[in-house]
Amino acid sequence: MGTFIAIVLAAVLTNNFITVKTYGICPFLGVSKKTQSAVGMGVAVTIVMALATLVTYPVYVYVMVPLHIEFLEIIFFIFIIASLVQMLEQVIKKVSPSLYNTMGIYLPLITTNCAVLGVTELVIGDMSQFLNGAAMNIGWAVLYALFAGLGFTLVMIIMSGMREKLNYYKTPKALAGFPTAMVTASFICMAFMVFTYIQI
Amino acid sequence: MNLLEFSSQTWISVGIVAGIFAGSAILIGVLILIVGKVFKVDVDEKITKILENLAGANCGGCGCSGCSGFATKLASGQGDLADCHVTSPEKKAEIAALLGIELKDEERTVAVIKCNGGTENCGEKFEYFGNPTCAGCNSLLGGNKLCAYACLGCGDCKNACPENAISVEGKLAHVDPDKCISCGACISACPKHIIERIPASAPVYVACSSKCRGKDVMNACKVGCIGCGLCAKNCPHGAITMVDNLPVFDYSKCTGCLTCVAKCPRKIILTRGVAQAAEKTEAAQKAEA
Repeated sequence: MGTFIAIVLAAVLTNNFITVKTYGICPFLGVSKKTQSAVGMGVAVTIVMALATLVTYPVYVYVMVPLHIEFLEIIFFIFIIASLVQMLEQVIKKVSPSLYNTMGIYLPLITTNCAVLGVTELVIGDMSQFLNGAAMNIGWAVLYALFAGLGFTLVMIIMSGMREKLNYYKTPKALAGFPTAMVTASFICMAFMVFTYIQI
Repeated sequence: MNLLEFSSQTWISVGIVAGIFAGSAILIGVLILIVGKVFKVDVDEKITKILENLAGANCGGCGCSGCSGFATKLASGQGDLADCHVTSPEKKAEIAALLGIELKDEERTVAVIKCNGGTENCGEKFEYFGNPTCAGCNSLLGGNKLCAYACLGCGDCKNACPENAISVEGKLAHVDPDKCISCGACISACPKHIIERIPASAPVYVACSSKCRGKDVMNACKVGCIGCGLCAKNCPHGAITMVDNLPVFDYSKCTGCLTCVAKCPRKIILTRGVAQAAEKTEAAQKAEA
């Protein structure tokens, strides 16, 4: 239970992917104009993160480590994630057209998303600080990926909500539009810095 | 097992790595192929063909989310082809042939803003400092204009227009009829519902939407329609009827004689297009004489 809480807190708050690790900045700034699209992006990233970790972690542990080809991990993971997303898109298109309409357009964008590649790289690295003494296994890896995705979604929703509200205020001409988004992003990141003081 | 220790020579190691990649690429390729076959979605060929013929403006004027949504709606037998005002008649004929329906004759239309108030003619109830959009302004006591049907001039229609056909001058929006594709984006964006489609060849239109009675209009606006009905009485072709204190034109009967323009005591029936050009040259000739 201690490990579970530690991983959830680490993935969502203390080591949030966007605000602390600064991964996935492109969707953070690009798709955060409307809450609806931000939620669609967040859900898509969460699903792809969990699924990608579910595939890459066993591939790394059971294929790449015994064959001593760990140095190929980045290329291999990009390879796997890209094809996985393509398959996922096809499956969703067939199984649930309504889900495809809300989420499908974001899936091709995620193939090259650094947050997804980042989580698959992180879970095969040194995770001892999050594990609270437990041994790393695929369960913890997928759990970390899932909650990292949820943390990503949380920040996306906060950002889009603030940007939607900011539309209702007059901003100086020099700051109108994207500069305001950058300022907003910096304040959100500063707010999340508070969580790094949580001791698990 | 260490794959790279089979040989100490670099090129063999490179070959092994290349082999690994080629092998996994083929494996993943086959997997994608299988998934693609198993989860194949039958896309209606009709939809792609209709989509090719649509204008592709993705303006949303038809009420669907983009052109692909409209194409799906058309292919399923619902939806009216006339809802799309952007696609050219030739392309529409092709779509009609695809669908096996008959194309109704329709004329090109343009949007006009039925208000001539602006800051000069129509006063303000209060000064508005809030969110600079018409929707925001309208949500506060129905806007800051004295007339409840006046253009608020914050430019929601301008922002909605995909063709940059709308300009806002002196708190009054104006549509450039040459640029307008009649998509209807401004019509749904206007919170006052004072934008309307008229045939592109229409010689005149009423630049007022006020349904109020004459005295109330007089108090609010210098150029409001007081509903006197002189235009309807004097129209030699019977093209004008009075509805809710406003003249309504039947453009199929209108010949562009401009009698209504001359008779209107408030000078709010405006000429446009060919008629406007003719009037201008007449004025120029008068000035010369």
